[in-house]
Order: sequence, then C-alpha cells, then structure tokens
Amino acid sequence: MKRKRGALEKVDVDLPNLQHKIKTDPTSYQDEFINQYSQYQSLHELFLQSPTTTDDSGIIRLRDLIDFVSHVADCYPRITGAFPSDLIGLLEKHHATLEAELRDKIVGSLVLLRKKELIDSTKLLNVLWPLLISTPSKSLRALLFQKILSDLRNSNAKTTNHKLNRMMQTTCYNLIVSNPTSSKGLWSVKVTREMWKRQIWTDAKAVSIMEAAALSKDAKVVTSGVRFFLGGDQEREEAAEEDSDDEGDVDMSKLRHQAGINKKTGKRDKELKAAAARVKRKERKKNAPHPLNFSALHLLHDPQGFAEKLFQQHLQPSQPQVRLNLEQKLIVLQLVSRLVGLHKLTLIPLYSYFIKYLTPRQPSVTSFLASLAQATHSLVPPDVLEPLVQKIANEFVSEAAAAEVASAGLNGIREICVRQPLTMNETLLQDLVQYRKSKDKGVQMAARGLMSLYREVGAEMLKRRDRGRDAALKLRAGTGQGTRFGEVQSGEIEGLELLEKWKEEQGLDEEEDEAKGWENWDAQSDSDDSEGGWINVESDGEDIDVSDSEDEKPKKAAKETPAEKAKDSDKENAEAGNKDETPDASRNTASLEPQEAVRREEARMSNLATTRILTPADLAKLHELRTSAAITSSMPSAKRRRLQQQQQQNSARHADDALTSADIEGLASLSNKQTKEEKIRMAKGDPDEKNDHRSTTARRKEKKEAEGKSTTNKEKARKKNFMMTLGKAKKKGKRSLMEHRKILKAHVDRGKKGGRRGNR
Amino acid sequence: MSKITVAGVRTNVQQLLHYSNEEKKRNFLETVELQIGLKNYDPQRDKRFSGTVKLPRVPRPGMSVCILGDQHDIDRAKHLGIDAMSSEDLKKLNKNKKLIKKLARKYDAFVASETLIKQIPRLLGPGLSKAGKFPTPVSHAEDLNNKITEVKSTIKFQLKKVLCMGVAVGNVDMTEDELIGNIMLSINYLVSLLKKGWQNVGSLTIKGTMSPPKRLY
Repeated sequence: MKRKRGALEKVDVDLPNLQHKIKTDPTSYQDEFINQYSQYQSLHELFLQSPTTTDDSGIIRLRDLIDFVSHVADCYPRITGAFPSDLIGLLEKHHATLEAELRDKIVGSLVLLRKKELIDSTKLLNVLWPLLISTPSKSLRALLFQKILSDLRNSNAKTTNHKLNRMMQTTCYNLIVSNPTSSKGLWSVKVTREMWKRQIWTDAKAVSIMEAAALSKDAKVVTSGVRFFLGGDQEREEAAEEDSDDEGDVDMSKLRHQAGINKKTGKRDKELKAAAARVKRKERKKNAPHPLNFSALHLLHDPQGFAEKLFQQHLQPSQPQVRLNLEQKLIVLQLVSRLVGLHKLTLIPLYSYFIKYLTPRQPSVTSFLASLAQATHSLVPPDVLEPLVQKIANEFVSEAAAAEVASAGLNGIREICVRQPLTMNETLLQDLVQYRKSKDKGVQMAARGLMSLYREVGAEMLKRRDRGRDAALKLRAGTGQGTRFGEVQSGEIEGLELLEKWKEEQGLDEEEDEAKGWENWDAQSDSDDSEGGWINVESDGEDIDVSDSEDEKPKKAAKETPAEKAKDSDKENAEAGNKDETPDASRNTASLEPQEAVRREEARMSNLATTRILTPADLAKLHELRTSAAITSSMPSAKRRRLQQQQQQNSARHADDALTSADIEGLASLSNKQTKEEKIRMAKGDPDEKNDHRSTTARRKEKKEAEGKSTTNKEKARKKNFMMTLGKAKKKGKRSLMEHRKILKAHVDRGKKGGRRGNR
Repeated sequence: MSKITVAGVRTNVQQLLHYSNEEKKRNFLETVELQIGLKNYDPQRDKRFSGTVKLPRVPRPGMSVCILGDQHDIDRAKHLGIDAMSSEDLKKLNKNKKLIKKLARKYDAFVASETLIKQIPRLLGPGLSKAGKFPTPVSHAEDLNNKITEVKSTIKFQLKKVLCMGVAVGNVDMTEDELIGNIMLSINYLVSLLKKGWQNVGSLTIKGTMSPPKRLY
C-alpha cells in the first residue's frame, strides 16, 4: 500500500516533466499519455457518480490531470476528442457545487483549449456566457467576465470576427430584451461597453444593445445604458489616446547621442534598436487612416423614437415603472436633451416638463438648466420656450437673488438663446442686459455675454446705446436682421470676396510666376503628390475662364484696371488652346453706368467660386483673410487679441458638444470668496490645481526636481550651511597682502588651466 | 489622383454630356450627381459638418414643392400652379404618422408662410424634419416664384453614417458651362466646409443617372 502510494506520488510529481517531454516528442510518449488519460477518465467517472463526496486528494489529483491533459491535448487530438465536452459538461452541471479551485481550473483549461483551437470561440462563449449570468459566485463571475472579454479581444485581434461578434451581440441583445425587468442585463451592458471602449464593436448593433438597455425596466440597467451614451465615446477616445501614449515619447536624437558617449554594451545597443523600432511603428500608426468611429449618438437607428420612448417611459409619468432617483433621472434627462439638440428632434412635451424644476431651490438645478439649453435648437417653436425663459428670469434673476443664482439664471438664458434667439422678447432682454452694471463679477459677465450674443443675432432688440458700433452699423446697412423661424441660412464660402480682392491686388505677381509654378508642380508631382507641391499653383482657371469673353478684346484697352489687363494678357497667351469660351454680354459695354459697374463687379466676384477650383493655398489665404477681416485693425491691439481669442473659442465649441452644469455655473466661482483653508492650499500649491498661488521660482524648482535634474553650482553655494562658510568669511578680512596676492594668482592660473581638475 | 484642374473637369463634363445626350439618350431628364468620398476624417473628433449652398442654376427643375400657407399664400400658389395646403388641411392629417410620412414623401421640398411655420412642429410633429424637409419660411413681401427657385437651387451637404455622400448638382439639359459652374461651386463650398480642406477629400466623381461615373479627383 505504501509503495503504491509512493509510486503514485512519483507520477504526480512527474506530470510537468512528462508534459514537457510530450511536447517535444508526442509519438514516443503516447503510451504514458494514454496511461494518464485513463487515470483522468476513471477519476472523472468517479466524480460524476458522486460529485459531492469525492475527497480532497481526489479533487487535487483530478485538477492536476485536467491541467496536464489540456496542456497536451493538441498533441493527441484523436484520443482527447471527448475531453472538451467532458469539461463543458462538468462546468455546466456542477458549477454550483464544484470546489472553487477545480472550477477555476476547468474554466482556465477551456480557455486554453480554445487557444489551441480544439474548440472554437462560439462554443466557448456559449458555455461561459450562461454561467456568467446564472452563477451566484462573485469570484467565478469576475473570472468568467475577464475570460469572455479576453477571448473576444483575441478573436478580433487580427481581423474582425464578424460571425462571432454578431453572435455575441445577438446574445447580449436578447438577454436584455427577453427579460427587461431583471438586472442580469447589466452583463450585456458591461461587455458591450468594454468592447466599445476597445473599438472592437463600433457598429450600430452594439448601439442598439445599449438602446435596449436604456429602455429596460431595471434601474441599474437603465442608468448604465444611459451612461454609455453620455460617456462611452469619451471613454473610447481616452482609451485610444492611452494606447498611443503608452509607447511614450522617445527622443531618438538624444538616445543616439547617449549611445555615442556611454559605454557600449549589447544591452544598450538592443535598447537603441528597440527604441528606433518603436518610433517607426508610431510613425506608421500616425499615417494610418483614421478608424471610422462615429459616436454612439449618431449611430442610433431612430433617434426620434428613442428619445420619445425614453422620455415617456422614465420622465413623463409621475409614477414611472422604473423607480429612478433624482441623479438617475437627471442623466436620463441629459441623454434625452442631448438627443433632441443633436438630431434636432421635435419633442414638445419635454419643454413643459422642465417648468416645475426651474426654481433656485431645486437640487442640482444647474444640471436642469444645462439640459434645457441642450434640448433647445433652431426648430423648437419659440412660443414653447418663452414661458420657460420667463420663469428662469423671474425665479433666478432679481436684485434680491444671490449672485450665484442670478449668474446661473443668466447663463442658462444665454445658452438657450444661443440656440434659439427668437425665444427672447424685447422688454425681457433689455431688463436682463441691465444686470451688466451689477457689482458682482459673475452676474456682470453673464449679462455681458447675453448682450454680446444679441449684438450678433438681434441687435434691433437691444437699446440703442447697448448695440455697440459694429451692430449699429450693420443695422443701418440693413444686414443685421435676425433670422426667421425655420430659416436655414444658405451657406456661402465665407470671405470669398476678400480672396478675390486679394487676388486682384496680387494679380500681377501671380501671373508672372504662374508658369513657373506649373513647371515646379509637374516635377514635384512625380515624387510627392501631397499638397506641398500643389500650394505653388495658383490656379489654372485663368486660361479657360468662362465668364471673361472673347468679345471684350476690342474694347478692353479703354476701360480695364491694370490687374484685369494682366489677366487678359495671360488669356491671350492661352487663346490658342482656349476653345470653349462663351460670349458674355455683361462685360463688353464700355459706357457703363456706375451703378451697373458695381453690379457687374459683384457678379464677377462670385464667379471665382464657379470658375476655378480653390487650391489649398487659396483656402489657407481665405482662412487668414476671414479672421483678419472680422477684426478691424483700427482697434487697439489688446482688444483685437481678445476678440480673436473669443472667436476661436466660439468656433471651438460646437453644437455636438454636450453642455454641462459647469458651463451654466460659469464664472460664479468668481463671486464667492475663498475660505482660509482654500487660500492656504492655493498658496502651498495643489497638485490638481494648475494656477495655484506659488511663485514662479518655486514652480520652476519643482519642475526641475520632477525631471530629475541636479542643482547648479550657484544654487549649491546659496544653499550651503552658513556655519560652514563662516570660517572663510572671518579669515578673509584678516588676510595679509601677500596671502591675497597668492590667492588671486592661483585663481588666474586655475582659470588658464581650465578649472581645478583641468579641462584636458 | 493628386489634383483637380478646371480643364479636367471640363473634359469629364463634356464626355458625360456627350454620353447622355448623344450616345444613349434616355426618355427622361437625367440628373447629374456629385459623389464625394472623404478620407482622414474622424467623424467624432472633427465633428460632423453640414451646410447648404445656393447654386447658380436649378439642378433639378422637376422638383416638386408644396406650399403650406395662409389664404394669401395659397392664392399666390394657385396663381403659379403649385400645390398648396392650408393649416386646416394639415389639421386634417390629425398627426397621423403615416399620412404625414406620405405627405413628406410626396414632395421634395416645402415652403411655409411665416405665420404658419411656427405651428408646423405642433401640427405635424417630427415627420417633416425627420425626412429633412422642414419648410422654408416665406413672407408676404417676398416673391413666391423667386423663393421657390431659391429652394430648388439650394443643395445640402450632410454627412450621415458613412463617409461618402452624393448631391444632385445639375442635369444633362444644362449647357456645359452651367453644369461646370454648378459643379465648381459645390466642390469649392464643400472643400471650404472641411476642416483640413483638400486633405479630407478622398474622391470626387460626377455621374448622370444612367451614365458611367467620371472621376474628377
């Protein structure tokens, strides 16, 4: 008995060894394997007969054998044909009663078998997924979730495994839809969110899973689904950025320099090569085409229906099926309003829903204000919004109200009016604008923001003295009219007339070097077809200009400006190849009335867009002209700069962006005084705060320390302990002339030698 | 292809017109479409663009327009021979989604009187804006005929769920120069809309309804 056990133990110890041997030479160790495999089979039988009563040693033995077999199963696929299904059967039937370590081992072995491609992903996921949902054990769930995710990632690593993805997505979707009241749907949401974050699932199907989740009847599932829409894309972007960041910035020139100086070892050499490869990979990644990632909000199949359902299910009824607390309600509201604003949906009942929440006492009222502003767009009827704006004005903005409240109200109103300027009426606007004289900074700024908004979109509603110069001028010219409801401003290429004028001014030079530019471009186009070459080319539109006509030739000498002359001379050169010019009557009359001349000029201006292609250089110039034209040079430079910044900010903010309560609170932080603790914290320096109140020197020093740089000699001298300097300082005054001379001479000599150690 | 020239556009337009007017003349008016493929465009980071631009010539003269108006505008519409509906007619639809969808599908564009347009979202719900056919306002002072030509000659660039799009820029009845003018304006406008200009343009193709596509860029 004793001997037998000894032998058993011996074999037991040998399992890893045997595994290694089998891997190197499967055929010659087949007998040994069959031996072990039959042991496994008998143990398996035993276990199946009495799953609960098997003793500890038996379980450990079974575990080791399972581990062993799964590691070498790929060497004997014929013998181990039933092995995977054995494991699956064990897991499916006995997962609740299995000993934890054995259970984990079986899961691990299954994943291993999948890696060895003895079972396919579909089968594996079909086993793991139901387990994940049904098992009560937390540790098993964590393990299974992790394994499922890694399997999905691995099978999508090289190419997208559409079949598997579709299967998994359908499973996830069905889980939520089949039983909307259970919280099990959370697992679907978790998997989908993770896959979305990793950019593995980027299609509409994944979004529809989340859509189903947001409309389910369990509070947790609903909130997680809604959270996905509000933050999933940001998360994805961050993950992508992290991915690219983790390579780290490698300064190749620095590394190369160091390699030249430091000791040359094999390790350093390898490191340098690795760094070079990394840089190369990064470069390639930079040039790779962008993955097509539409945000989840844009991939929704039917945004109108989704928004309506969300609103009707979770917000509108006083007793909704799903009990949501205020915070959860707020994020649902955020999503609904985001959808409405983004897709310009019509959801009229949403606006009246807001009215009862718009009081200063309402908790997190700024979020409500932000949501309301977000839900506003140009196609919302102004009469729906008017009572809301009126209510905000009445409740928030008054002399008696606290500064933060008033500024939040004003900011909220402004954000609404940015999106739908027609909401405002004249009396209310003039009333609100007067708060720009308020003593509080936050209120002041908010009121000014409102005023400057209406200077642009409806100056006629402001009092005459509030209009400002530009708006008043525009009004006088009759161009400053606000838009009507439903009107879509037909776009034009902004600043095109400026470009045309500029071209005319530059005209002569252009014509001269145009031919040269052509040649250059031709030469370049072989080697490099990027825009760099193209920039030189002004336009080839000249030689086949449609509107300029043949019959102006006889009269042109009399009337044309130098620039036009130049253009025409060029045209004559090109006349030979110029066969498709058509006569244009408007150009050939020499005795034009001045009025008509203006009109003709205008028509010609707009011809630029219809007769030539704007080159990249043109576009760059256009942009430059556009920004500089808006800000007249007569302004003082500081003001000009500020305006430019403001413009950039405005253009950076986009309708697609979400509006947060922070935007509504705005500069309210300016109006509250800091407490003593805050002041101390700022003075001491706060790692999270960028603009703390420390001195520049202190900040610079910290930066240097963080970079791991050493101190200068000067700094060392300054920091030297006073007691240590005392002796020398005392003696210095009592030196004799001879001593002094010696010291000075030594100093000069040392300088010649190049320092104490000598710079050799 | 690395660049686009006016001459290149011209030859392509000539070929296209030749094909549709002489080689294979069809029994209907073929529309010319500009198809655009974008590249290096991240819809999430670069934000989606959309814009409308008025072309010098009406690209699709056969476009059907409906007036939703008050009595004055209905009379004017009748005078011009254009379909018109009053607010009573709209109320009769009773917010029935199917009927509204049918209405939206029947016409290519809508024009509404200023007095009525504010009620449109209430009367018709989301149906029209869902179809991208929210009416354009017209006041009594404006000339209805001009307004309708303006609506007809306005085209819209809008990116949906894919990185390519197509817009009708003309028809084969137009002269070469008219067609070129329309095409150029659309291309220039599109490029000025894009954040990185020409770097975002992957391809430009013109195509008649029944003709083979011609690649411009």
